[in-house]
Amino acid sequence: MSMSMVTGNSYLESLLQGQPQLPPSPLAWFNRLRASAVDRAGMLKVPTTRDEEWRFTDISPLAKLSFHPVRTVPSLQKEDIARFYVEGTSATLVFVDGIYMPELSVQSNRTADLIVTNLSAALATHAHAMEPHLGRHAAFQDNLFAALNTAFLHDGALIIAPRNTAIERPVHVLFIATQAESTSHPRCLLIAEPGSAVTVVEDYVTLQEGPYITNAVTEIAIGDNAQVSHTRLQRDSGQAFHMANSAVSLARASRYRSISVAFGARISRYDLNARLAAEGAECSVDGLALINERQLADTHTCIDHASPDGTSRQLHKCIIDGAAHGVFNGKIIVRPGAQRTDSSQSSRNLLLSARAHIDTKPQLEIFADDVKCAHGATVGQLDNEELFYLKSRGLSEVAARNLLTYAFGAEIIDRIPIASLKRRLEQTVLEQTQRN
Amino acid sequence: MSAVLQNLVNQPYKHGFVTDIESDIAPKGLNEDIIRLISTKKSEPEWLLEFRLNAYHQWLKMKEPEWPNVKYPKIDFQAISYYAAPKPKKKLSSMDEVDPELLRTFEKLGVPMNERAALAGVAVDVIFDSVSVATTYKQKLAEVGIIFCSISEAVHAHPHLVKQYLGTVVPVGDNYYAALNSAVFTDGTFCFIPKGVKCPMDLSTYFRINTEESGQFERTLIVAEEGASVSYLEGCTAPKFDTNQLHAAVVELIALDNADIKYSTVQNWYAGDENGIGGIYNFVTKRGLAKGVNSRISWTQVETGSAITWKYPSCILQGDNSVGEFYSVAVTNNYQQADTGTKMIHIGKNTRSTIVSKGISAGHSNNSYRGLVRIAPTATGARNYSQCDSMLIGDQCSANTFPYIQVRNQAAKVEHEASTSKIGEDQLFYFAQRGIGNEEAVSMIINGFCKDVFQQLPMEFAVEATKLLGFKLEGSVG
Repeated sequence: MSMSMVTGNSYLESLLQGQPQLPPSPLAWFNRLRASAVDRAGMLKVPTTRDEEWRFTDISPLAKLSFHPVRTVPSLQKEDIARFYVEGTSATLVFVDGIYMPELSVQSNRTADLIVTNLSAALATHAHAMEPHLGRHAAFQDNLFAALNTAFLHDGALIIAPRNTAIERPVHVLFIATQAESTSHPRCLLIAEPGSAVTVVEDYVTLQEGPYITNAVTEIAIGDNAQVSHTRLQRDSGQAFHMANSAVSLARASRYRSISVAFGARISRYDLNARLAAEGAECSVDGLALINERQLADTHTCIDHASPDGTSRQLHKCIIDGAAHGVFNGKIIVRPGAQRTDSSQSSRNLLLSARAHIDTKPQLEIFADDVKCAHGATVGQLDNEELFYLKSRGLSEVAARNLLTYAFGAEIIDRIPIASLKRRLEQTVLEQTQRN
Repeated sequence: MSAVLQNLVNQPYKHGFVTDIESDIAPKGLNEDIIRLISTKKSEPEWLLEFRLNAYHQWLKMKEPEWPNVKYPKIDFQAISYYAAPKPKKKLSSMDEVDPELLRTFEKLGVPMNERAALAGVAVDVIFDSVSVATTYKQKLAEVGIIFCSISEAVHAHPHLVKQYLGTVVPVGDNYYAALNSAVFTDGTFCFIPKGVKCPMDLSTYFRINTEESGQFERTLIVAEEGASVSYLEGCTAPKFDTNQLHAAVVELIALDNADIKYSTVQNWYAGDENGIGGIYNFVTKRGLAKGVNSRISWTQVETGSAITWKYPSCILQGDNSVGEFYSVAVTNNYQQADTGTKMIHIGKNTRSTIVSKGISAGHSNNSYRGLVRIAPTATGARNYSQCDSMLIGDQCSANTFPYIQVRNQAAKVEHEASTSKIGEDQLFYFAQRGIGNEEAVSMIINGFCKDVFQQLPMEFAVEATKLLGFKLEGSVG
């Protein structure tokens, strides 16, 4: 009997046991969505390294631990989490172990028409706006973790940027993990109506260092001519498992800018699917994974050019130290008819120690002839000549190494559109690189 | 810009004819008895029969691979005849005694082997279906101690060498088709270059599949001892048939210290008609082991034929400072499918590898590059450079790239680049301005696109490859 069968089913069963306790919603479509996800989750198996999409990411340790659904959350004061707030936001939504905390959230600076609320409250008021999007972008047919998240769907963040409005200040959605051996299923839905512009920070942090599972799903629907900037920070504990799926749909001439940064988690897996559904859409997808010790950070992205005249840019970087393992799989699909697509992708990887390793696979699938597609991948260590140059100017070996490593990572951090957050993350990168 | 390229691509297959020679065909199907029959027919020693049976038993336990990016109806392995040999005739002492029918075939192919051999200085070990019928230049090679013969001959004449190396690079259970080949291979080429010998001429074999419904299972084994070097050419054409034919070859190369093996292929098997009916299934396992220090293995391939191509000529760079190279042009047209690429496994210190892959897809075809670069923890100072470019002609075809890069050593440097392009209106216009017609312009652009690879081919192959590409793509641009 194979390992995956034993762990697969009992693990899922124990997970799904928590599901029936969720109260049914008065909305039939919402109940149907959840029920079909429960069905699907019951049919899918925990992926193993024998599945192509999980070839380099062994999540069997996850199934060995027992994780209970969160029932109660500790009472927290704003002071306890003060260090996680970002200044100058138009609204901050705080979730503790996946549960919405209105008393920790900040709504005061909000622009009048912008809707920033928790999902369960919004089901009573904005169900009509949510129905065409919730669960429609993040497909869970073949994705166990998206199916589980949808099966447990009861709360989350809802952001609706109103038509033809530019929201100047960013919206901050903060997910705080406080309990060891718990499972939470954070969910975000962002709807950018036609002509709107909005900046969102999705932020995962922890108050404890034990193991837990975060299984997040984010759906972003971008209307015609709308613009979304999406910064995603994963700062989970070094023992945590972070599974995440983001699905983005781009309408005509819309723009999507994504920056994802992963520092934490024992094993993290981030799947980002961006679909350029109508012509003239533009997206840029950047990422940085800075990992050490026995961490594993896996990023899978799929940029799907389904319509003509789309543009996509991608730069993904991994800095790998200790015995850590980086995985990157970047797929670019150019569908039949998606002519004049312009796409480029680059995967850059820096190995800092003898036991660090990387598996990278930039992948192109092209079904149209009038396109410009390029990708590149590099793996290497710090350049000796660059080190020599810095040393010749009086820097010590260690300082020179740290500076170059920092500069390698800073290229991504620099692209974050919020100055205060950028400064704080630059500090984190500096600390991480100087630790050695 | 379509009429011209359309004509360019859609030329009928020039080598489609069947030679009528009585074949000695084994009953269809595969079981232990068939394997014993093959072994008996070829009067093989006991160890080889065991090798075959071992492979067969492993094959039974294996599943047909489904991961390649190709689609085809399931192969019925019991509907294939696993042995076909021309009826044994009296031993031939000169070319004049060769069946005139056979000679005519070669003439039609444009390979009058006696002349070609003399003129080009190439020794041609002709494989007709599965048994060698004539070998030339053997004498000349024997003078310097080179063994160049069919593998069944080598099994009898040099059993210790074959036994020592056969299945060491591609183990019998390596993959589904390699296991099948190991169980039923009927013939192939054996080449042994002893210590310090530089092979005085390019060695070459013409393969030809002749009997309908007889899959061909070639086995090639090339060993270069310390300091030896050899350049080996493999060229292929096959007659036109409507039923799909399976070709599952295994090629093993072994290079010891300071040895150098260059393996070039031009593959132009029947690709099926313009509606995708018929054509060869080409499922090949090719692998080279750069075993010794400073050894070098270089693969060059021009893949233009076959309905489905599924091959990854690979290098295992085991010796320190060893070098692996892969140069490939893969052209697909109509409904052809190709999933091809290479694997570079770096094990030794300071090993270097270069990958240059050019894919051209036209019509409704599907062309994939799939590559693996693996740097083992031991491969300190390893270096890889990969470049894979695709060109699409028409909006019904596809080009895919699946490069796997796995690095386990921080002191390694790996670079990978890929790009996609098309033949632009502006480029054709530029040529037209200078009085060069579309057809010629396309051929020049494509030759320019493939230049990096063609440069690696031996002279006569480079000429053939350029022509081949010309008529493969006739009519698809315009």
